[in-house]
Amino acid sequence: MTDPVPAADALEPWPDTVEWRPVSSKLITVELISRGTWFLVLLAGVLVGWSLQGSRWWLAGVAVLVVYAVWRAIITVRAVRAWGYAERDLDLLVRHGLLIRRLSIVPYARMQYVDVTAGPLERAFGLATVQLHTAAAGSDARVPGLPPAEASRLRDRLTALGEDRAEGL
Amino acid sequence: MTAPGPPPSAGPSLPVEAPPQVPAAEPRRRLHPLSPLLHGAKTIAVIIAALSWQTLNSVGFERFALVVLVLAIGTVVFSIVGWLTTGYHVVGRELRIQDGLIWRRNRAIPLERLQAVELRRPLLAQLTGLAELRLEVVGGSKTEAPLAYLTVRDAAALRERLLELAGRTQAAAQAPTGPAAAAPSVPALERPLLRVDNRDLLISQLLTPQAFFLPLGIAFVITQTVLEGSWTFIGIASTVTAMAGVLLQPVRRVLQDWDFRLARDPSDRLVVRFGLLETRSQVVPLHRVQSVRVTWPLLWRAKKWLHMRLDIAGYAGEGGGDSKRSDRLLPVGEFGTARALVWEVLPGVDLAALATTPPPRRARWLNPFALRFLGAGLTPEVFVTRSGLLTREMSLVPYARLQSVRVIQGPLQRLLGLATVYADTAGGRSGEAKDRDLSEAWALAEQLAVRARQARQI
Repeated sequence: MTDPVPAADALEPWPDTVEWRPVSSKLITVELISRGTWFLVLLAGVLVGWSLQGSRWWLAGVAVLVVYAVWRAIITVRAVRAWGYAERDLDLLVRHGLLIRRLSIVPYARMQYVDVTAGPLERAFGLATVQLHTAAAGSDARVPGLPPAEASRLRDRLTALGEDRAEGL
Repeated sequence: MTAPGPPPSAGPSLPVEAPPQVPAAEPRRRLHPLSPLLHGAKTIAVIIAALSWQTLNSVGFERFALVVLVLAIGTVVFSIVGWLTTGYHVVGRELRIQDGLIWRRNRAIPLERLQAVELRRPLLAQLTGLAELRLEVVGGSKTEAPLAYLTVRDAAALRERLLELAGRTQAAAQAPTGPAAAAPSVPALERPLLRVDNRDLLISQLLTPQAFFLPLGIAFVITQTVLEGSWTFIGIASTVTAMAGVLLQPVRRVLQDWDFRLARDPSDRLVVRFGLLETRSQVVPLHRVQSVRVTWPLLWRAKKWLHMRLDIAGYAGEGGGDSKRSDRLLPVGEFGTARALVWEVLPGVDLAALATTPPPRRARWLNPFALRFLGAGLTPEVFVTRSGLLTREMSLVPYARLQSVRVIQGPLQRLLGLATVYADTAGGRSGEAKDRDLSEAWALAEQLAVRARQARQI
């Protein structure tokens, strides 16, 4: 440990030399819609139960569901804001997670392949997910919520940099 | 089979076919004609195990035998069809394997991606002089392309040839190198490194939790038999079979690791040989070693013994515990032996001089007992991490083999200002520096990334 240890703050996980890019804020909408759908399905179930039985417990269930949904919505918004990635000269940094914070550093040279995926909901909002795979099972370098142009730029850059450098193992 | 070359079963003609080296024209070869029988025997054993003692009891012996016989004929016919449709040949720097009757599969294995080659000889194969060749390739969910079975001579020659092709660079491959293909393995030139004493192996496996429970299990069966006269032979047999799975693990280990030998071959690869009933001999190029793990089990402490495993990419996906994987580097040995061995496998790494620093004091809230044994350190060649209170472990990850670095901070760690750093390798297990001070964790991650890059450039 000869290098000077940079002063790190728990909220700003990397030295300021790295320029973090956020993911698109449209991802918040996508995530909220997909969570909201589940919420509505559950809510409908509980309401049907209430109309059939009329017990007060069902109303309590509705209250719990609503509180949970609001809490999850807040978490979702903050979680999407916490996603970030940075392209350095030789490696890709990805950070995400609120409760459990994760930072991955993946050298371009170790890349095996790149996935660009987009689900129906993501496509409707013009978003895509880029995932970088290495030979290690543990690596997780996934960047969701990128505009297609940015996603293909990132993919091309990753593959171009990967090709320059060795076989990856 | 269109090529005018020698017939597939002509093993001895191997040195003769070297001169006409036209890569594409090599004939497709078949596996040994006895392989369907051996495969069939294996399947029948599985079937009998599946039918179990209970079935034997309820349907009677003659019917049981009949069922087994019918199934046996079925599997042998099936295996023969499989054998007829399976073939392999080397084209350029690829090994191509065709198999399947209805779903034809034609698989090409690029040899530069070859991680390790293993030659396995189960008991039946040993009796018939055959061997199975298994290739490890990255990205396979299991061992790709087990070639079962070939004659030992063919298998050894093919292995030598595949490794030869795998080790060569692209430029060299284009130059016509006839003699290389023809050169068979020369075991005489191997430099032996180590031989594990079978007595040590036996003692080490007696010093395992399972071995301590074995007498209890036997006592249980005996008392049951004596106290309850109603126990039949079948009852005892099924109990024993059920217990055998767990309690006989030490016995299995002894059988598997019997006569463990390590050597370096002329091309500086590691040759590992072991096994009693099923012998295995594995060749690992040194640069394919992803990480080395050293373990000091609790019960071995009195003897000051340890064991070592090495991770190779390609075995990662293969679960199934330690019986299937061939990842042994040292089944049992003393520190001095281990030190010498690590020096061989990871040149420049001295096991006795690997300094690690413990996490900060406040990490004791998360690790009340094991704090003293946690540690991580950056040495010039490898990333070292230690862990474990009772069974102490140490993992060495060469920087050149790092795939990615992760820093993860859970909620409790955030309260304490700690974080865990993972150094991922292609071999499955990651080096894990638990509960470091946050700023130190960032610095570690940065250092790992930088060193991984530098190690690659040399």
